[in-house]
Parts: sequence; structure tokens; C-alpha cells
Amino acid sequence: MSSAPTRITLHILNKSPEHPRFHHCLASVSGHDALVLTENAVLALADNTITLPARCFVLVPDLEARSLTSLTRAQTTDYAGLVRLTTKYERVISW
Amino acid sequence: MRTLVVVDQAPYGNWTGREALDMVFSLAAFDQPAALLFLGTGVNWLRAGQNPEAIGQKSLEKNLAAAPVFGVSDIYACETSCRRFGLDAAGLAGNVTLAQSVLALINTYDQVVFAG
Amino acid sequence: MTSLSYTLVITGAPWASQAPQSALSFARETLAAGHQIDRVFLYGDGVLLASALATPPSDEPHWPRLWAGFLGQHQLPAAVCIASALRRGVIDDTERARYELPASNLLAPYSIAGLGEWVEGNLKSDRVLYFHGSN
Repeated sequence: MSSAPTRITLHILNKSPEHPRFHHCLASVSGHDALVLTENAVLALADNTITLPARCFVLVPDLEARSLTSLTRAQTTDYAGLVRLTTKYERVISW
Repeated sequence: MRTLVVVDQAPYGNWTGREALDMVFSLAAFDQPAALLFLGTGVNWLRAGQNPEAIGQKSLEKNLAAAPVFGVSDIYACETSCRRFGLDAAGLAGNVTLAQSVLALINTYDQVVFAG
Repeated sequence: MTSLSYTLVITGAPWASQAPQSALSFARETLAAGHQIDRVFLYGDGVLLASALATPPSDEPHWPRLWAGFLGQHQLPAAVCIASALRRGVIDDTERARYELPASNLLAPYSIAGLGEWVEGNLKSDRVLYFHGSN
């Protein structure tokens, strides 16, 4: 294991659960990190094969577009909330 | 500020690998520490003996081999992905380090970026 | 609240991805929250956002014009990567003349620049966010 300090990270993911990068991203979300699902990634809420990390947010406009607003597996947020999240994490990875 | 540029898309059918290489060389040109990570199908960019002339493209093999000269000496490939695609050390182009843990590698960089 | 500075990179094309739309929504809220956008950089397929010739149906959002309007309204620097732009036919007057092309189509206020613009964004901005396509 690396001895480098763990960097608390905000991961922003826009890929659908079938995209290979979706799984690379989830494998990289560590304990205190947060994940924001945007665009096609919000489909993960409807995908019963996906386990989401503890700190997971989902962008409401993308849920609304895809008729998924009834799903509650992640905390909802909006673009203003996404901006706020980017201020709270020193490292942001846009997958 | 250390940047890791990740290539996770396949060679020749996608252009993001080339665009990622441009990014990493630009960082190096400005004396910024930069590294490349090949992940998933992206590891196939590293296969020795590529010959894309018949499909009208240029191989990245020479660019990758020359990378250290341009200041990019850290080139990584995800070991799991290499195994998946039957790439052992002998099949890889020269100066690549196999990464056992992508997570651990990612955590040693300030910025982790994709070209597209 | 501390005000942060952002560089936004768009690599997804309009009408092929949500990248321009997501990025614009994000950008508007960034400024509304009192933060600063240092620059917007178009790379890869994202350069199509700077084409003055894009002509969507009149009842659809005109992403290039919406973005150009936003950039102009807030006087934000915006650059298009020259290598990506030339390949995809996003051309300013200088390149039109250099390559003796039949036309130029770079939408104001974009300028054509190299990846050095992006590197600078990495060095100077507190946050660099990428809006990629979904393929």
C-alpha cells in the first residue's frame, strides 16, 4: 500500500453504469470521498447491480430528464450544490 | 503540482489516447511533473509492434519511447488490465511500470485528468 | 466564504453530449456563488462549441451562442485548442489565411491557443473541472 497521504476527493461522474469508466471511478472512491452522479451516471440509481458509496449525490435535473426522481438511493443536489461541493474538496476528479 | 493523465480508451478507434499524450507533453514542456496511466482497454496503446499504416494512422510507440527525453518518465499500466488483455512485461513497450493498485497510484497525484 | 477561481475544460461536443449544457449550468452557479472563472478551454470534440456555423432548429437551445453570450456578458477568457480545432474545421481568420481555406468560423469571443492555456489554468486556478462527453 502507498504511504502517501490519502487525499479526500470529490469524484464527478457522468458516465452510464455500462461505461468502463463508471467502474474505474467507483473503484477509486475511498472512505471519506464523495461521489456526484451527473448526466447518464444518474441511471446508477435504477441499476440494482450497483452499490453506491456512502457519500453519494445525484443531480436532480438529470434525474428529472430520465424520469428517475422517485429513486432515493443518493442525496439529491442541484448545480449550485455541485459548485458548493467543489469548494469543500481540495481534489476534484472529473471522470 | 503533480498531474496524472489517464488513458482508458482503446487505441486507433478512439482519439483520446493521442489527446492525453499531447496533454502530458504540454505539462512537461512547462516543467510540470506529469505521468501517464493506461487503464482498461487503454493498455492496448502499449502493445509492442503496432503497425497502423493500413488504417491511415501513426503509431504512438515512438512518442511513448521518446517520452523520457521530453520530461515524461513515469508511464504506468494497470496490471489487472494488462492481464486481462494478455499483456505481460515482454509484450509492453519499453519504459512502462505496472501498477498493482490504481487507487494507490491515483492518490499520489494532485490532479487526475482525462483527455475526453 | 472564500471565493475560489475555476478553469472549465469542455471536451464534449454540443448535440453529441451534455457537456456544454452541464458546463454552462455549472458556470452560471459558479459566478452566482461569488466565485471566479479564470478561463474556459475547449479541447477535443468540445471545440465544436465555438463554431459560428452551427445551426440547430430554432426551438432548441443554441449552445454555441448561449456560451458565447455568457462569456461575453461576464468578460471571461475562452480559448479553443488549436490542434483540436484545425482537425475539426474550427478556424479563425489567421488559420484560414495560413492554410488557404475557403472560410473561417470561429465564434467570438473565443481565441485559438495551444495546450499551454490549459497548463496555465492548472497552475493558476483553485479548481479545474472537466466536462467530457459520455462515450
